[in-house]
Amino acid sequence: MNIQEYIESGILEAYVLGALTEQERASVEADMALYPELTREVEAIEEGMRLHADSTAVTPPAFMQEQIWNAIQSQTKEEEPTNRVAPLPVSRETEEPKVIAFEPPKQLPKPAWQRAAVWAAVVVSVGTNFILLSQRNKTNQEYKALAAKVDSMNSSQSQMLAKVEAYDHERAMLADTAMKTVIMRSAQAGKQMTGMIFWSKAKGESYVAIHNMPMPPQGKQYQLWVIQDGKPVSMGVIDNQLVANAGTMYKVPMTITAGQAFAISLEKEGGNPTPTEVMVVGAI
Amino acid sequence: MPPVLTYSEEELIALLRQQSREAFNYLYANYSAGLYGVIRKVISDEQTAQDVLQDVFVKIWNNIEQYNPGKGRMYTWMINIARNAAIDKLRSKGEIMKSKIHGGEEVVYNAQKDMKTEVATDTIGLKDAVAELKPEYQVIVNLAYYKGFTMDEIAKTLEIPLGTVKTRMRHAMQLLRQYYKK
Repeated sequence: MNIQEYIESGILEAYVLGALTEQERASVEADMALYPELTREVEAIEEGMRLHADSTAVTPPAFMQEQIWNAIQSQTKEEEPTNRVAPLPVSRETEEPKVIAFEPPKQLPKPAWQRAAVWAAVVVSVGTNFILLSQRNKTNQEYKALAAKVDSMNSSQSQMLAKVEAYDHERAMLADTAMKTVIMRSAQAGKQMTGMIFWSKAKGESYVAIHNMPMPPQGKQYQLWVIQDGKPVSMGVIDNQLVANAGTMYKVPMTITAGQAFAISLEKEGGNPTPTEVMVVGAI
Repeated sequence: MPPVLTYSEEELIALLRQQSREAFNYLYANYSAGLYGVIRKVISDEQTAQDVLQDVFVKIWNNIEQYNPGKGRMYTWMINIARNAAIDKLRSKGEIMKSKIHGGEEVVYNAQKDMKTEVATDTIGLKDAVAELKPEYQVIVNLAYYKGFTMDEIAKTLEIPLGTVKTRMRHAMQLLRQYYKK
């Protein structure tokens, strides 16, 4: 097979976009397993797609985050049986339907005063409609302004609630006797460095704080690890802002339920699958 | 606040399996704008686009076990979910079928018209790389990426050979890649 021709045919772009039939896709995947050049090309196309998505990114309105989380929560709850709707009672009228004879309406010549009255009514009606319409427009505007206000209040309220929740959590965490404090000390001779981990094994929750560590050099980042049965498991790459704000506690998103030690290592930007240069370490 | 800890895609999968609020927050903080951008390209109506974004996150959340890392990146997987959901929504509204029934010229015209509206809505400061492409490439990227046409459908709609569609598609994607490398 001519790899270059294969790539030039554009089939890999179509593959990444999901624009192939099931059969074509299976055949591309089989070819990719055989030729690593194809896999590399697909990776390059995917990188292009990522860049394209990032360049067209639009931040959704702030309230969406809460709304989507609620939708996810209610989705999982919905699996329970829903209330059965009682069938509507069917009317069982057996009586003969009443028949009303159709009669053409009687045409009577309308007297002049009647026509005048109709015109007057029309004029009043149009006038009233006009007034009502302008009032409605005004009400609409007011409504929109109010809705916007309520929306912004809702969003600031949910932000405040989140903050309160966070504080509450932090307070509970500090009071939690099951919460272990692990101090990570320098693993590098002659360098004074410390980091701290607060870990609740029961809840799997952990918080990290850096107390005294230098800014990583250009192109490097710190990475947090938990050692589980002798194997380091990444807990994530630490953003430099946490290093800059010494002592700030940050909740680790990952749930950790087992471990013998925590460590922070210096890695290339974006992290590594295994630690290369351990900076601080602390046994639990 | 940007997340303090960042994760590789493999770590993110492990995180999502835990199904915690933190996992969701991380996912949302890192991917909502990218995915919403993709959706907005397909659906201009904000309310509909928001509904689709919600569906997309629910789908990602519930189907994380179905994502196969061997078949490409997680972000590609999520982008394709977002694109497909948006396109399905559009199709359910019957808009796309109209353009499929109409002749090729109409589609070209619509595609270009779409491009124009996109440029107009992109006033946030994002330069649309697609708009920089030649029209014959734009049409194909637009149909494949934002309208969900298969290569075969594009060939039939535009009345050009399938091979030409594929090579143009490739050329367009390469131009885009070069554009972003700048």
